[in-house]
Amino acid sequence: MIRLSGRFRSALIIGGQGIRARKTRTLLSMVSLFLGVLAVVVVQVGAETTKSARLADLELHAGKDGTRQTYLPGNADTIQIGQDTLKGRTDAVAISFTQAIIGEPGVSPVNPGGAPFDQPGGGQYAYPDGVEIFCDARGYCQPMQVAGDAPDVPVPGQAIELSLNALTGDIRQFRPFRSVSGQWLDFSSDPSLSPRIVVNLEAAKGFMRHQVPAEMRVEGTTANPTPRIIGVIDDGNMHPTAYTRADELQNWVPRSSNAGNYGPGLQVMLAPTAGDLEQLLRIRLTASGMPAEQIHFETIQARKEIAKELALIRWIFLGMAGLVLLIGVAGILNVGLATVGERVEEFALRRAVGTSRSLLAGIVLAETLLTGLLTAAAAIGLSALGLTAISALFGDRDQFLQDLAFPWQAGVAGVIAGLAAGLLGGLIPAIRAARIPIATVMRA
Amino acid sequence: MTALLELHGITKTLKGQKAPRTILDGTDLTVDRGESVAILGRSGSGKSTLLSLIGLFDRPDGGQYLLDGRDITRLPERKAAALRSAEFGFVFQRFFLLKHLTAAQNVAMALVNGQGWLPRRKRRARTLEALDRVGIAHLAKHRPARLSGGEQQRVAIARALVREPRLLLADEPTGALDTETGNLVIEVMRSATERGCGLILVTHDWDHANKMQRVLRLSDGALHPATDTRSVASVSGPARHRAAMGMDRTDAERSEVAR
Repeated sequence: MIRLSGRFRSALIIGGQGIRARKTRTLLSMVSLFLGVLAVVVVQVGAETTKSARLADLELHAGKDGTRQTYLPGNADTIQIGQDTLKGRTDAVAISFTQAIIGEPGVSPVNPGGAPFDQPGGGQYAYPDGVEIFCDARGYCQPMQVAGDAPDVPVPGQAIELSLNALTGDIRQFRPFRSVSGQWLDFSSDPSLSPRIVVNLEAAKGFMRHQVPAEMRVEGTTANPTPRIIGVIDDGNMHPTAYTRADELQNWVPRSSNAGNYGPGLQVMLAPTAGDLEQLLRIRLTASGMPAEQIHFETIQARKEIAKELALIRWIFLGMAGLVLLIGVAGILNVGLATVGERVEEFALRRAVGTSRSLLAGIVLAETLLTGLLTAAAAIGLSALGLTAISALFGDRDQFLQDLAFPWQAGVAGVIAGLAAGLLGGLIPAIRAARIPIATVMRA
Repeated sequence: MTALLELHGITKTLKGQKAPRTILDGTDLTVDRGESVAILGRSGSGKSTLLSLIGLFDRPDGGQYLLDGRDITRLPERKAAALRSAEFGFVFQRFFLLKHLTAAQNVAMALVNGQGWLPRRKRRARTLEALDRVGIAHLAKHRPARLSGGEQQRVAIARALVREPRLLLADEPTGALDTETGNLVIEVMRSATERGCGLILVTHDWDHANKMQRVLRLSDGALHPATDTRSVASVSGPARHRAAMGMDRTDAERSEVAR
């Protein structure tokens, strides 16, 4: 237990007695201060809640703060080295990207190019005049200039195109996907010949709308495997996407096929503590002939980015809240000065019985600081209750509202605002109290 | 043996709106442990000013103030506060009880002043002991509004005694009380001297002064032994009062005292 000094305890005890003795005045001070502290708390709640929501969103897309990340060229050697180095590591994951079409054999997908399903244009990307999407006999589609006779195009059928991300480990430690249904990939079991895939919400929407036969076409495969959809997650991606184990996909895609030449090649994500692994990967890649200057790791700084985004707005609102708080400070100051004027004899008497000037000032400050703290407690309590009510009433409208929680930073801001207001409002009365001549009791 | 308190050539001039007025002009005083001293003097003679200097409420302009042989004439405020807490007990004409506190809390006020810390149990025990000494322990939980004048003054005396001071300073403590209650209050304070506590009583009341071991009169800024009590006691009416106050006597009165 913290042992408080006698002077501090004395100030608290006498301050507490003063507050109890003048309940109405304390209440008036609290009323004048309440709106200011409440404004600070509400601004902080809003800023922190927005920050959390933005951060969660950013982490879904970009990754958690502090994650070390690099993109390596999508050639077969690099992918192989990356995947081999990271295989079995729980503190790192390599992601290779490719396109897959799941559905009826020999038809073009309903969303060529892996477009979102509700996009204007019926789920197809809009291309410039003279450019159209053409799909080959296996169903792979790409934009082509229409010149003369168009190639043979398979008829659109029951198939869905999506981005397929092949993982060497659990990516959720870096990108905290929200589970919607089913389960996530199990990396501890043996790889299956029937690749297990987890799809995102957009892909799940497509599979809900289109009852497709289960065949997965991936460029470079020797045959089309039958995938098993084992779960649905929210990865924040508006494009249909699926995640699978890299080793299960490699059962069907020879490494020499250079699968993964869609997108950025191989993405590597490392935990901040995996410095040894980063070093090992650099060595292996440079040993394979890759120039060292092409290997560039960066640290994800999601919080910093968001803080920058929100800082200006937060300060503008805090400034407004500060103005309201100042009015509260003026209220405390007013009540404090009146109270000191009334208590001249008490303070002189306290000095006569041995209370020092500084402790006398401390007693007045203790009273205003306790008033500030009580006000802060009331404002924080009301904000927390309001937040709970909003979450209960409107939580079903949005996931974001459902997960509302009172941020501790708002509590701290409220306490600081209450204490600062108490200090500012109590300072002048405290100085006046300390200056009361002790001989007042003799002359009375 | 060193005296408890020694004042040597204390001077004090008050700077008012008009010309400065010398209140104390070379005042000397010595008080021993357990000694009781009464100071008489007419209004404005500087009795309260002297008491405020002794109680370290204020500083003298000149002279020397020794407490237990230690020079405390120019003590810094913080040390003066500590000394006020540890060595002095104060009783005023008005009781100065805080109305929002109980009798016990008013007494404990002298223990909760930042000068050392006593746990609540010890504070309570010492508070009740002090109230018991002045005979009102049973009123510990009463607020001042429910106490009579004499009881309130006894609470004030308990507050002055709770830290076991070595010197009790009383500034007209019976001024607001009837004679009977005043006598009781004086007896309570006098009993404190039996424990070795010095007592300086500023009063206008000769009867109360007469109960002290020494009676001094403050006039012209200096302390003098007061007129022989028996002589004064034989004078009746206004003459007795004026004698006690050190006021000039008429020729007729002088002759009466001489007889």
